[in-house]
Amino acid sequence: MEIKTITSANIPVFFNNLVKSGKVVVAPVLKKSGKVFFESVQSYDQVSTDYIQTAFSAKSVVFPEVEELFSYTKKEDGDFEFRNDMSNVPETVIWGLRPCDSSAFNYLTDFFLKENPDTYFKLRKERTTLISVSCAKADAACFCTSVGLNPGNVTGSDILLTAMGDSYYVEISTEKGKSVIDTALFTDSTEKSKEEFLAKVETKFSMDEIRERIQTAYDSAEWKHESMGCLGCGACAFSCPTCTCFDIQDEGSQESGKRLRCWDACGFGQFTRHASGHNPKSNQTARRRQRLMHKFKYSVENFGIVSCVGCGRCIRVCPAHLNIFENILNVTKA
Amino acid sequence: MKLLQNKVAELFENGTINLMIGFKEALTKQPVPCFIEKASEIEQLIYTKDCKNNLSVYLHKPEVKQAGKIGILANIATLRALVQLTSENQFWDIEKTVLTVNDKEEVIVFSDMEEVEAYVQANFPEFSEEDLKLLDYLESLSREDRWKYWTEQFSACIKCYACRAVCPMCYCPQCTVECNQPQWIKTSAQTTGNLEWHIMRAMHLAGRCINCGECGRICPVGIPVHLLTVKMNQDLFKEFGTKSGFALKGDYALNSFKPDDKEGFIK
Ligand code: SF4
Ligand code: SF4
Ligand code: SF4
Ligand code: SF4
Repeated sequence: MEIKTITSANIPVFFNNLVKSGKVVVAPVLKKSGKVFFESVQSYDQVSTDYIQTAFSAKSVVFPEVEELFSYTKKEDGDFEFRNDMSNVPETVIWGLRPCDSSAFNYLTDFFLKENPDTYFKLRKERTTLISVSCAKADAACFCTSVGLNPGNVTGSDILLTAMGDSYYVEISTEKGKSVIDTALFTDSTEKSKEEFLAKVETKFSMDEIRERIQTAYDSAEWKHESMGCLGCGACAFSCPTCTCFDIQDEGSQESGKRLRCWDACGFGQFTRHASGHNPKSNQTARRRQRLMHKFKYSVENFGIVSCVGCGRCIRVCPAHLNIFENILNVTKA
Repeated sequence: MKLLQNKVAELFENGTINLMIGFKEALTKQPVPCFIEKASEIEQLIYTKDCKNNLSVYLHKPEVKQAGKIGILANIATLRALVQLTSENQFWDIEKTVLTVNDKEEVIVFSDMEEVEAYVQANFPEFSEEDLKLLDYLESLSREDRWKYWTEQFSACIKCYACRAVCPMCYCPQCTVECNQPQWIKTSAQTTGNLEWHIMRAMHLAGRCINCGECGRICPVGIPVHLLTVKMNQDLFKEFGTKSGFALKGDYALNSFKPDDKEGFIK
C-alpha cells in the first residue's frame, strides 16, 4: 500500500490524462431521469460527483449484459467458421465506484475464476483498473458496515480516493494502480487519517449473529410474509454488483449466428423451470429465499465471502420496495 | 389513519378478510406496500397522497390468492384496474373487499364492484399533465426523430421486466417473451430485441392499460415506457370513444367486433 495526496484541482487533470492515455474511462454520469449511471466519458466535466450510489453497479464492464461468446458462419464447403475475437476488449478504468462496489469485484473474481476460469471475464478483469472514491454521504438503504465493509475500505480497489476538503487522500493498493498514477500530480502524503471525511453508516445487524442463525433460516416461517410483495422481476439482480446468474442464448440461423451470454435473475419464474415443466422453485417465496440465502449462506460456503456488499441498490430499485436487510433480520429472528 | 385502521380491524374481526394489502411507511420514509395477516400488524397501515403503487397487481399472485379473503386499499388507479380486470373476468377465484380513502379523508368500504364502478366514473382521473407534455413534444417531432427517441430509450432497456411485473394488466401466466418454441422475441437485451419486446408489450396493453404510470415510474433505467400505452389510450378514446377501467361491461378496442364499424375493411 502506498499513500499519496493530490490536490482537488488536479483531480480533473489526472482524470483527463487517463482518457488521453487511450483507456476507456467509465464513470458516474447524471442522466435526465435524475439517476446516475456508469458510462464511458471523455472529460471530467461529464462526471457526477454528487451521488450516493449509481443506479446500477459497474459489473457490466467485466460481465456485460450481453457477452458474445462466439459467432459462426457456414462456409461454401459446408463447414463452419467460428469467430471469437476478444482482442479488441479495451483497457478500461472504472472511476468513482464506491468501496462496496470494489469489494464486490473480489467476489466476482472468485466466482468467475476460482474453478474453471472463465476466459471472457479473465480478460476483461485483467484489462480493468478500479479507481474508487470513498463515500462522504450515505442513505437509509446503505448497510456496508453490517456486512463487514465500510465507506472507506480499500478492498478490491487498485486506487481509493478520499476527498478531504481541497485535497484527496490516495491509497494505491496494486501494481496496476501504480501504473496509472501520474507522478507529477501526486505527492507523498502527510495526512494522518481519512476517517472524519467518511460517511457514518449505521449498522443494521451484526454479521456474527446472522452467520449463525442463517444456518437454519431456510425453514423460517417468515419467508412467505417477507416475500409477499416480491413481483418476480429482475431489477434487484440486474442492479446488484454481485449477482452473476446468466443464460446462454443462440441467435441466428443455420447459416450464421452467435452464441450469447445474457444476464438472468433467480427472481424470474422461468429461471429454474425444467424442460418438463416442473419447477423446483415454484413460487416467489422460494425464489426470494434463494437470492437471500445465496448472498448470506451459500456464497460463504462456496467462497468464504458474504456476497452482499450492502450497497443498497436492490432496496432503492425494487418496485415493491423490499428491503434486504429487514428481510434478513426477520428470517433470522431468534 | 385511525379511522382506516379501525375499519380494517373490524373487517378482520368479523371474518370478512384474512389478508389486507395496504401501505406502510418504510425506513426510507416513503409509503410502500404492506401485507397484514394479523390484527397486531394493523397499526402500520397508512394512507397518504404519496401511496402511488397499484396494489391490484398482487391479486394475481398465488401466495396472495391463497389467503382467499383479501382486503385491498386502493387509490384511484387501483380502482380503475379493478374495474378493468373485472371486465376481463379476472378474480373469479377470490373474495375481495375494496377500500379507499376519498378526498375528504373518509374511509369507504365498497360493498360490490358496481359501487367501485360508480366511484371510478364519478372520480375518473385525467391524463397526467406531465405525460401529456411529453406526448405533445414527441408528437411534434418528425417520424424519424420520434423513432430515434424511442430507439435510444429502448437500447438502454436491460430487460429486467419490472415494467411487466408491476402492471396489473400483465397477468398472463406465460408471457410471449418467455415462449422459446419458437422464440418470438430475442431474449438478449439488445436494441432489436428490446424494441420487439416493447412493441409487443404495448400492443397487448392497447386499450387495457389504465394509465397508472407504474411501469414508467419503476423502470430502473428511467425509460418512460408508460407513454406508449397511454398514447394508445388517448387515440382509442379519440377514434372509438372507449376508456379503459371505466365500465364493468366495457369492451376494449382490440377485443370487440361491431358489424357497423366505420372502417370498411373489417367487413
Ligand atoms: S425483490 Fe423487488 S426487485 Fe427483486 S424480484 Fe422481487 S420485486 Fe423485483
Ligand atoms: S444484494 Fe442488494 S445490497 Fe446486497 S450487494 Fe446486491 S444490490 Fe447491493
Ligand atoms: S422496467 Fe425498464 S429496463 Fe426493465 S424491462 Fe421494462 S423498460 Fe426495460
Ligand atoms: S401505466 Fe403501465 S403499469 Fe399501469 S396499466 Fe398501463 S401499462 Fe400497466
